[in-house]
Amino acid sequence: MAEFRLPSNSIVTKGKHFPAPDGATNTRNVIVYRYDPDSGKNPRTDTFEVDMDTCGPMVLDAIIKIKTEMDSTLTFRRSCREGICGSCAMNIDGSNTLACTMAIADIEGDITIYPLPHQAVIKDLVSDLTNFYAQYASVEPWLKSDSPAPPDRERLQSPEDREKIDGAYECILCACCSTSCPSYWWNSDRYLGPAALLASYRWIADSRDDATGERLDDLEDPFKLYRCHTIMNCAQVCPKGLNPAKAIAETKKMLVQRRM
Amino acid sequence: MSNLRTPLSQVKGHGSAKEGTGHFWVQRLTAIAMVPLVMWLCFSIASLPGMSQADIRTWLSSPFTAVMMIVLMLTGLYHAKLGLQVVIEDYVGDHGIRTIAIIAVTLLCAFLAVLGVFSVMRIAFSA
Amino acid sequence: MTSAYKIIDHTYDVVIVGAGGAGLRATLGMAAQGLSTACITKVFPTRSHTVAAQGGMSASLGNMGEDHWNWHMYDTIKGSDWLGDQDAIEYMCREAVPAVIELEHFGVPFSRTEEGKIYQRPFGGMTTNFGEGTAQRTCAAADRTGHAILHTLYQQSIKHHAEFYIEHFAIDLIMVDGECKGVISLDLATGELHRYQAHMVVLATGGCGRTYFSATSAHTCTGDGNAMVLRAGLPLQDMEFVQFHPTGIYGAGVLITEGVRGEGGYLTNNEGERFMERYAPNAKDLASRDVVSRSMTMEINGGRGVGPDNDHIFLNLQHLGNDVIEKRLPGISESAKIFAGVDVNKEPIPVLPTVHYNMGGIPTNYHGEVVTLKDGDPDTVVPGLMAIGEAACVSVHGANRLGSNSLLDIVVFGRAAALRAAELIKPGSPHKPLTSEDSAPVLDHLDRIRGAKGSTGTAQIRDNMQRTMQKHAAVFRTGESLEEGLVKMRDIVDSFDDVRVDDQNLIWNTDLVETLELENLLCQAQTIIYGANNRPESRGAHARDDFEERDDENWMKHTLAWTDDKANVTIDYRPVHMYTLTDDCEVIPPKKRVY
Repeated sequence: MAEFRLPSNSIVTKGKHFPAPDGATNTRNVIVYRYDPDSGKNPRTDTFEVDMDTCGPMVLDAIIKIKTEMDSTLTFRRSCREGICGSCAMNIDGSNTLACTMAIADIEGDITIYPLPHQAVIKDLVSDLTNFYAQYASVEPWLKSDSPAPPDRERLQSPEDREKIDGAYECILCACCSTSCPSYWWNSDRYLGPAALLASYRWIADSRDDATGERLDDLEDPFKLYRCHTIMNCAQVCPKGLNPAKAIAETKKMLVQRRM
Repeated sequence: MSNLRTPLSQVKGHGSAKEGTGHFWVQRLTAIAMVPLVMWLCFSIASLPGMSQADIRTWLSSPFTAVMMIVLMLTGLYHAKLGLQVVIEDYVGDHGIRTIAIIAVTLLCAFLAVLGVFSVMRIAFSA
Repeated sequence: MTSAYKIIDHTYDVVIVGAGGAGLRATLGMAAQGLSTACITKVFPTRSHTVAAQGGMSASLGNMGEDHWNWHMYDTIKGSDWLGDQDAIEYMCREAVPAVIELEHFGVPFSRTEEGKIYQRPFGGMTTNFGEGTAQRTCAAADRTGHAILHTLYQQSIKHHAEFYIEHFAIDLIMVDGECKGVISLDLATGELHRYQAHMVVLATGGCGRTYFSATSAHTCTGDGNAMVLRAGLPLQDMEFVQFHPTGIYGAGVLITEGVRGEGGYLTNNEGERFMERYAPNAKDLASRDVVSRSMTMEINGGRGVGPDNDHIFLNLQHLGNDVIEKRLPGISESAKIFAGVDVNKEPIPVLPTVHYNMGGIPTNYHGEVVTLKDGDPDTVVPGLMAIGEAACVSVHGANRLGSNSLLDIVVFGRAAALRAAELIKPGSPHKPLTSEDSAPVLDHLDRIRGAKGSTGTAQIRDNMQRTMQKHAAVFRTGESLEEGLVKMRDIVDSFDDVRVDDQNLIWNTDLVETLELENLLCQAQTIIYGANNRPESRGAHARDDFEERDDENWMKHTLAWTDDKANVTIDYRPVHMYTLTDDCEVIPPKKRVY
């Protein structure tokens, strides 16, 4: 549902200021959203003056540096640091992206870091993705085929057919797309969101899968699919350069075509 | 109160309505149809000799204009109904208010359609 | 500090710790066979580091030319520098073909040949006809094979309704009289403890790349399972064998797949020379990883490195053309752009050998059951405990793993563990209740770390360890440098007594988790550096400047390393299995290893 005002316990207050270490000349302000569930206090934004001369090039480097040297209680998810695991998705400089592939040099002014928008925050930059994962599971993202697979060799697929799932299978489930989508903000309880719809399309487009009809049936719903209004934020923010909006449009096209 | 339903069960909810494609398709169809209809309306009004009530009545009483006008109104109102429904579904969260709002919009558009058709026909037939 | 933890109890037939490729393959295999199965993982399954594997998975399908699993077996044994167990290698290479076909049937989006078969590319050390030609044996999904496999395995796990405990950090095994009875984990989201009782615990916790400063491994690759095994009084095997991947991006350490060289890329020094032709006249850039990494290091040490400090090497793929790069290597062109600022169509990528893989790990047999040396029997099975994937040392990789054998390893032995568990466990068989004494050591351990109020931050100790390991247990090792490293490591391990955990909260306490991980890393680092100092020969990835030759007479044996609670290391040995499982192949006797 559309909510235009924050509940009183979510209003962000001004937090602590962590000055740069002595002697640092090249510093930048990193402003980070903090929320401590154990304290029960309102969230706040802390400002860290980070010494850029001793910091790696990516935003994740800056966050790790803060945790290492300034405040070890800062909490965030991270793993591969090369943009393939999808852990460190957060809202940086107003846009959802992966902290590990976002270069600090590409940001002007202060670096603001918030958790993914419109998700329940568990602590600091860690948001609750339970609903997001459940939506992914709900599209039954696995190969369904009634045609038996040959027992001792692979199913055959032409390179042209294989090419049709390029741009769909590479999703890393970081949730940047879904949580950047206004339609998802208002109706995430019923709208599946771009990531889950892309996952569904990945199997619709796979020539080895013969459940296309079933999959289309399951998506044909005013809320599950048709909340997509081609706003395109998903394609804009995808850190892997994928275009979920296009996959959704293809799905809609198939739904129309099968009626004609 | 904590919700003890599993996340998957909540997401699955009532399942698919198996509907929505019609809405999507007709909304686009009516939008496309409106393009020539609105162009016709603009040109037609622009080429009127004057804008007095009598001029308009004369214009509307032509059978071609009357038919075009009815088609335009029905298309426009149907498109409006579909569009407003989407807006309500997007922004109104409460299920009760949402249902009432959609019914109200539907009835209002239907009423305006009947009113419009009746008005055009009255002018067309009373000439 | 007293334990005031809420403990939630569970009983399962099997509990798997870790949800990478091996963990997921085991999870879905066990769930599919009717065993009640839980999988505990500290990150959401698709975020496990299998996702970062790029090049592919080897299997002698023969889709691109004649191939045979016997040849694959020969290559793997030669690659292992004759430290691999030949029974296990036979099992893996033979099972590779059905394993990859099974993955395809699960839906893995492999790249395709014109006939619609799985595309296979050449990889380092993979040959035909026992070393004669170049084999195209590595099944690839562009350069995102790990991602494709991991996501597919997760999807299959959802399909089979496997039960996951996600973002749970496993703390320790519950050991009763030398038998594993279960495991205790910390739920990050709530701070509650979960105690799982199981007939079988399967450790699929990956390697410990983060013992080093520069690694292709993720931040989460801390070898937690290995450390749990050490704390349970069991040994790790062959930990001194740490693979340096030849092509980590200079500076960032991010992996660039060997598939680049498989597709025709090559390395050059500052004279623009393709120096690998000198070091490996036949295989050239496709020699096995230890050979290439050593050659690169020798070039750099000889002053022929590139860059202003002559401290790295160029990987060239500009000549491959747009089409090959776009179709076969799209991911690495993205990585090169982001992390090296390089357009691979125009410029070479700056690379450096970077820590990549632990050949060593928890000793197991080819069923995945953990074994130990007990009363003179080197193959004593530890009841209730299995290990698979990079965490395990089966040992199929011996002293050096061939590229694309690790995705194979995880799938084959994940499956083998599931098959073995189904043989050993009757679904739903009752458990003997655990007592609070059984789990007391685990809670004490957690309390000790949680309440750590010393003066040294976790990150500082970790940094000291990583730099020491990077310096003293590198591509080339000498006794002198290792001895120095041992002394430093002793101080660093001792400094952990003075560690400080600042975050005292229950919910998502990553300060606590990183400290637990650091403790895990420290004992593994000790086994690595002790093992390296203890082995006076050069074999595979373990290259000693002071002992340049392989010594089969004295050292064709596995190192076993135990640690005590102060991380002091005790060493013993297990023999290498120089026999095969069947008569379908012959034992490959040791010979000089040239590429």
